[in-house]
Amino acid sequence: MRKIKKGVVYLLFAIPVVTQLYPLLWLLLYSLKTNEEIMSGIFFALPKALQWHNYKDAYESGSYLKYLSNSVMVTAITMICVILLSSMVAYAISRFRWRYGGLVMTVFLMGMMIPMQATLLPLMVIFKNVDILNTHLSLILPYIAFSTPIAVFILSGFMKSIPAEIEESAFIDGASIYRIFRSIIIPVSVPPMMTVCILTFITIWNEYILAATFISSEKLKTLPFGVYTFVSQYSVNYGAIGAFLVLGALPVILIYFFLSNQITKGMVAGAVKG
Amino acid sequence: MVNKKLWKRTSAIALTAVLALSLSACGGNAAKNNAAANEPAGNGANSGSSGEKITITFQNIYPDPATPSYKTIHALVEEYEAAHPNIHIELDTLNTDQQKIKLKTQAASKEVPDITIVNPAAQMKPFVDAGLLAPLNDMLDQNGLKDTYQAGLLDYYSFDGNVYALPDGNNIEVVYYNKELFEQAGITKTPETFDEFLADVKIFKEKGITPLAIGEKDSWTGSFLFMNILLRTNGGPGFLQDVMDGKKTFEDPAFIEAVDKFQELVQAGAFPDGATSIDATAGGNIFKSGQAAMWVIGSWETGAIDASSVAGKVGAFQFPTVNGKGDPNEFMLAPGSAFAVSANSEHLQETKDFLNFFTLNFPKKQFENKNAVGLGQKVDGDLKAAGYSDLAINVAELFNQVKGGDLAFDNTMNPATAQVHLSSIQNLFVQKVESAQVAKEHHTAFEANKQ
Amino acid sequence: MKVLKVPARTIAVFVLPCLLLYVCLVFVPILVSFGTSLLNWDGITTAKFTGLSNFRDMFWNDPVFWPSVRRTLLYAVASMLEIPLCLFFAILLSRYLKKGNTLASIYFTPVILSVVIIGQLWKTIYNPTSMGGMLNGVLIALGLDSWTHNWLTEPKIAMFSLYFVSLWQYFGYHLLIQYTGVQNIPDEIYEAAKIDGAEGFKADRYITMPLIVPIFKISIVLAFIGSLQAFDLVMVMTAGGPAHATDVISTHMYNSSFLSLKYGYGSAIATFLVLLCLVCTAIINSIFNKLEKKYS
Repeated sequence: MRKIKKGVVYLLFAIPVVTQLYPLLWLLLYSLKTNEEIMSGIFFALPKALQWHNYKDAYESGSYLKYLSNSVMVTAITMICVILLSSMVAYAISRFRWRYGGLVMTVFLMGMMIPMQATLLPLMVIFKNVDILNTHLSLILPYIAFSTPIAVFILSGFMKSIPAEIEESAFIDGASIYRIFRSIIIPVSVPPMMTVCILTFITIWNEYILAATFISSEKLKTLPFGVYTFVSQYSVNYGAIGAFLVLGALPVILIYFFLSNQITKGMVAGAVKG
Repeated sequence: MVNKKLWKRTSAIALTAVLALSLSACGGNAAKNNAAANEPAGNGANSGSSGEKITITFQNIYPDPATPSYKTIHALVEEYEAAHPNIHIELDTLNTDQQKIKLKTQAASKEVPDITIVNPAAQMKPFVDAGLLAPLNDMLDQNGLKDTYQAGLLDYYSFDGNVYALPDGNNIEVVYYNKELFEQAGITKTPETFDEFLADVKIFKEKGITPLAIGEKDSWTGSFLFMNILLRTNGGPGFLQDVMDGKKTFEDPAFIEAVDKFQELVQAGAFPDGATSIDATAGGNIFKSGQAAMWVIGSWETGAIDASSVAGKVGAFQFPTVNGKGDPNEFMLAPGSAFAVSANSEHLQETKDFLNFFTLNFPKKQFENKNAVGLGQKVDGDLKAAGYSDLAINVAELFNQVKGGDLAFDNTMNPATAQVHLSSIQNLFVQKVESAQVAKEHHTAFEANKQ
Repeated sequence: MKVLKVPARTIAVFVLPCLLLYVCLVFVPILVSFGTSLLNWDGITTAKFTGLSNFRDMFWNDPVFWPSVRRTLLYAVASMLEIPLCLFFAILLSRYLKKGNTLASIYFTPVILSVVIIGQLWKTIYNPTSMGGMLNGVLIALGLDSWTHNWLTEPKIAMFSLYFVSLWQYFGYHLLIQYTGVQNIPDEIYEAAKIDGAEGFKADRYITMPLIVPIFKISIVLAFIGSLQAFDLVMVMTAGGPAHATDVISTHMYNSSFLSLKYGYGSAIATFLVLLCLVCTAIINSIFNKLEKKYS
């Protein structure tokens, strides 16, 4: 009886593994097929011969490396700033005794309700006036701003659970608040920070509406923008589109699988009262 | 642990950025005035000294390296930069949808790029009304540029006697057909009446061949076809103009008849299953991969068809008459997307000079790149001798028969009405609707959005 | 627990950089949008002040608006209903596997892929039979020919096809949240319960459920807000078509602003969307506050 039950449960576990991993496999196969194989529409078919040249085509006509390095830079700077700024705010909200803590938290939470598309035009006007259109700053700043609400939300949830005694004793030893923040709070908050990192990374890495609107110079454009343009317009070779999609998703997949153990640790650390 | 120095530096940068931003955001007006004040001075300096490095932003919609247009634009830009070392042309290459959204966003903050792409007539009117585009009359007179354009073509881009944009082509809507599939189905001649057309559709459907390729997720494709029927049922061009002038309404019998005929096509199974989820490009590929017998689309596809796997098997004919009405030599006209110059350009003169060079040499380059069908400019050279395909010559002959026609719906009506129209036609693909109801929808939208 | 009394200057140093950036780039723009919702403006030419007439049109004259609100809310409800299933899976994972982490991470994969990929994939699954769509292929192979549909283009079905993709994509997301929540419950509690005779699902009823409420709330709120703003997936797969049959609030806003060139009207829709989010989140919050009180 127990064994049967266990078998059923394992089967239950296996189903989502298939359905959730399937897209990766599908994409990989897609990127190695010829146009005819793709157009024939037969869904689960292995390519007759692996069309590796699709990758060569995609690489050569898609300015992959240039877009990639831009994306890496924009994403890296954004993540550093998001982590730093939001953990400072989260710390203040969760640990300082001040009147407006709750208000600030509410303001940030409200930000989660604001759809990015609605801010496109006002942002354009603001950026024009500060003259940062067509620079990476015009992407980094809104990316930071739109990532902070969820980051503050997760981090402050965690920081509330840090035992107060640690800080108190450090305080008595004469450590400044900045020092406590730097050498106590930040180190213990690494797990939720990883979570924030991954969530921010996923959103930013795939964002293309702002990227297409605020950047005009070819040399500053980012990868998702390149992927989107390539996919919607490169009509001659479907396989190459697939290859470009794989190349575009590769960094995020790699990073995710490197950090995936961290994300499970940090996602809701501290939200459960133990 | 975070490195102390790094921490300090990053936070300093972040703080400055925040402060700078918040200050300027609040003092937005002041910044604007400053920019305005600087502008004329900058302008004068630039036209005076030629040594300064100048960047001209050229927003364009030719991202596909496989197309002739891409090759043309890149070749001409390189040529110009070589001859003018102080000028750099920055190509902002987007796909059509992105470009439309981007330009609208830019227009709202009066930040139009030096050169951009607009669509003719009603679609570019708001930009002209807002004073965002520079008149190009003076530039057209240089080097005889004006005379290279076909007679009357520039009218679509002119408002109050000023020309505001120069088209990249001038196309007509034709019916491409796959000769091999026609033979297979035992059809010997191309249809000349709508009934014959419908009969052929049914034959193909029976044989399991998609009769008409379309990608109706981009709803302009269905509208473009529908307008061709309307051009016939109305007995000639000018229906939409009459509606705008108050001489007719959408509840006119000609319009209702056109909706009826269009529904007959849908009911006969003329279009691929799930047409409304297929992108325009993917829809075209159904024809270009030999899976569909016909494709009703603009002549701009000629070059792409010749580069596809059905090359050599394709011909083109005029849209048939409907119930004996209309003249087959009246076409849906599609004056091309057009190059416009920003009125606020910092380097207005240099931009105009470049565009003059660009448009002057555009037809010749397009001709060399096998993309001369549907050019809006006169070009010397014989298609046959230059090695153009039979299809290209076939389409060129159709051009010679053009007696007149109409513009697409969204080039004639205001955008809000056009959107209602587009979605109303898209709806016909998925369900049968009372034609009078369709007419009423159009009528209501038109009345509601009248300015 | 708020313990530290610090000078205002210190608070400013900690809070202001982030807050200023955030207010300038998120709050100010949306306030500007609230302002533009009072204008008759195409986004290009001069605007005209028209007071609340955009809202009047929206509520009473727009045949697309209310159906899009209904679809959006249904979207939200569907994604919230998924969460109990995620919780169930999370409990099973932590009970039957030592290293549930790995599986949870695998389930998460669709979340990290860009919507362009997800869209392409599901289009090939939903394609009509004539184009070799997988779903229809499977149905035919099972002898269920009459169940085949044009999943993305039949107006009555298309929206449900989209809901399903979204549920599929975010299954792993919520599972992961629930799973970590369950993992964070200290083992001692279960051990103590075991002594009292509560084991298996009985322990879940009296220990896991109450302790997981805060996490459950996080999931619900995230799912809710996420689906109210659902945009990319709809744009990629159907662009709101056929004939608005899959339009949700955010796509309707985008299309009104940028395609119909009614920017003021689009802003009115955006205003409505933000307010809807606020009201609904407040409702969810108060429900959960009651729940938490009841359990503690």
